[in-house]
Amino acid sequence: MERAIAGRTYVRYRRLVVATPISPNLVPALRSDALPRRDEQARAQLRAAATRAAPAVLAGDRLLVVAGPIGQLLPAGGIRRGSTVALDGPPGTGSTTVAFLLAAATTSVGEWAAVVDPDGTLGARAAAEIGVALERCAIVRHVAPDRWATVVGALLDGVSLVAAAVPPGLRPGDARRLTARARERATVLVTLGPWPVEATLRIHARGRNWSGLAPGGGLLAPGSSVDVRVEGKAVRAHAKAG
Amino acid sequence: MSGSGADRRRGRGVDKREAQRERPVSMSDTRTGCVWCPDWPVIAARRHADAMGTDLRNRPLIVRERVGSRDLVRAASAEARAVGVARGMRRREAEARCPEAVCVDRDEANEARAFEVVARAVERFTPRVVLERPGRCEFPTRGPSRYFGGDDALATQIRTAVAEALGPDGVDVRIGIADGVFVARLAARRSVVVPAGGSAEYVAPWPVSVLDDDDLAGLLVRLGLPTLGAVAALAPDAVIARFGSEGRRIHALARGIDPGPSVLVVPPPDLVERTELDPPAERVDIAAFAAKELADRLLERLAERGLACTRVLVEAETEHGERLARCWRHTRSELGDTLTPGVLAERVRWQLDAWITTGETTAGITSLTLIPDEVVPADGRQLGFWGGDQVAHQRADRALARVQGMLGYDAVATAVVQGGRTPAEQVRWVPWGETREPELLLAIGTEAAAWPGALPPPFPARVFDPPVPAELVDANGDAIAVNGRGEQLCAPAHVRCRVLPAGGGVVRAWAGPWAHDVRWWDVRAHRRCARWQLITGDIACIVVVEGGRAGVEAIYD
Repeated sequence: MERAIAGRTYVRYRRLVVATPISPNLVPALRSDALPRRDEQARAQLRAAATRAAPAVLAGDRLLVVAGPIGQLLPAGGIRRGSTVALDGPPGTGSTTVAFLLAAATTSVGEWAAVVDPDGTLGARAAAEIGVALERCAIVRHVAPDRWATVVGALLDGVSLVAAAVPPGLRPGDARRLTARARERATVLVTLGPWPVEATLRIHARGRNWSGLAPGGGLLAPGSSVDVRVEGKAVRAHAKAG
Repeated sequence: MSGSGADRRRGRGVDKREAQRERPVSMSDTRTGCVWCPDWPVIAARRHADAMGTDLRNRPLIVRERVGSRDLVRAASAEARAVGVARGMRRREAEARCPEAVCVDRDEANEARAFEVVARAVERFTPRVVLERPGRCEFPTRGPSRYFGGDDALATQIRTAVAEALGPDGVDVRIGIADGVFVARLAARRSVVVPAGGSAEYVAPWPVSVLDDDDLAGLLVRLGLPTLGAVAALAPDAVIARFGSEGRRIHALARGIDPGPSVLVVPPPDLVERTELDPPAERVDIAAFAAKELADRLLERLAERGLACTRVLVEAETEHGERLARCWRHTRSELGDTLTPGVLAERVRWQLDAWITTGETTAGITSLTLIPDEVVPADGRQLGFWGGDQVAHQRADRALARVQGMLGYDAVATAVVQGGRTPAEQVRWVPWGETREPELLLAIGTEAAAWPGALPPPFPARVFDPPVPAELVDANGDAIAVNGRGEQLCAPAHVRCRVLPAGGGVVRAWAGPWAHDVRWWDVRAHRRCARWQLITGDIACIVVVEGGRAGVEAIYD
């Protein structure tokens, strides 16, 4: 014991406390005028205000709020930054539209999104129609499958949301690394196609309900809905999002 | 003011030129001369061609420069300008206006090498020549003009000497002398000597575009201030209130006062960077490699002290004991107000190249020294007050530029919506880093009128360009075709394509065909095709038939 503390220097601080007696005739004056009364009406107002106020959210837990019907399916109405969203569905069932909806949620608040599109088949006109600000949405094309993970990793450093079409034969190790990087950078990673590892949310696009087109006439009507199923920790939902 | 630094230098027993530098000489208010050769890139290119045995004299010449992916005119000879070629024009447009012109790439190293002749001619009159870019140099004139008999006499003598040095080509050499660098440059444009104290009067009629800032000049003109005189007539506090510290500078310039760098600091004497080259460098690239390292080290050490450099003296010593020195200045540019390692190393390289190729060095270079000559506090780049999106933009910019470096310039793009008939035509891809031209507002009504046959919204989210081969057949299994009037003979019943889930299937609903006869006047671009919008299973897609072959053009995903 003695030896253990021999090498150290201990400084003991002592706090000086001065006690001053309060003159007894001051106390009733304070109680009657300065202190708040037990006002039932004020307490009711406070209780009402408390139900309206949301608890403070730390920067790291910030949500990327997604507006519209799809936002209602997501836990807390949005996607937590740093999470990975695996989107899938065969072509034509609406998975690209869901990706555009998420990109629109990012770019509409002035943040940046990037879309990795190895085949170069993205319809930018549809993206603009859904609400993606095209000037803040970079589209990366002609990505070779062997450089895909590097490119997505670089993009995760720079923008708020990366939507990437998964190439066939992605190694689970690479996928896990990207998930970790997205979490570290507080960037949302949206993957289109079969994602080999676990994701925070999985959204399955299950088809669209088209109207307006008949055998031999009409035109596709705008505003058709997408049938999606959202899987995740906090959700068990299945609904239609437009 | 810098007593200790100067004493230390003298104590080291260094030569006279170093002793001259004991105090930071700001050229802001001193009497300054400026030698300017208009169209220097053209002159340099002609001289270079001459040396290579091609005669480009009296032929229109365009010097081009690549800015991003754009090809712009950097300078044009008088013959080319006479037919309407102007600086900053696209090269293609310039060549259309002047088809007989010879087009050469810009070569700044060659420009600097050619300008060395001029700098050396001026150096015979004064040792303190400062270069900013090839084509223009400045020097303080107080001493030399007393020695040579006044400003006018000095200007005449320097002009004669420079013209002699440049040879019999009849190069236009202009020299102006005035108070401060800014006014001296304006004086050089007209080749005049502005009397001391007459700056305000001289600059008043000049347009605000001489401030070298197009955005600012445009704004001032819109505010009803077309000339520097109009700006000078404003109350200084009004200009500062509107433009901030930049306003202070503008107002001073408009009154003919060159404020120079706002705060000068005595260059700390121990910041001199020096390197010995052993074996002596005979070739430019070896010396330039050493220069790059020196530049990095110098600016890094300056940055450690919160300083930045706007003027630097390059000194070289050869095996035969020759000592060469030249001062380079860097002024405001889009890269920032101060020198960066890349910019500094480039200037040192040009200078070494000029010394070695013009035969000023008779032996290899043994030592190289960089001396910061004008040092200002580094105030960094000011971000906007609400810097959030600015910071986010820079972060995104860095990441995307990195991806561009990995995959190629065109791989990262943003989309611009434009008019067109097919989904692929309606989008233009602009490589990242290039300016997006403003998007046109495409109201559906006008758009339908402008592009007959274009499909109205919704728009397909997957677009295949070119279309993916498919089969579109009728109930009998025959391929769908359209007649000469664009009418289909049978209704589509089945579609098969590899991009459709399960390879396609029965057509549930369809509309069309919309027949297009595009560019029938152009043999090569002529297209005839018919287009259907159809639903197979739950999938909506666009199928196009062209020349008897069907293809899936887009999927509504």
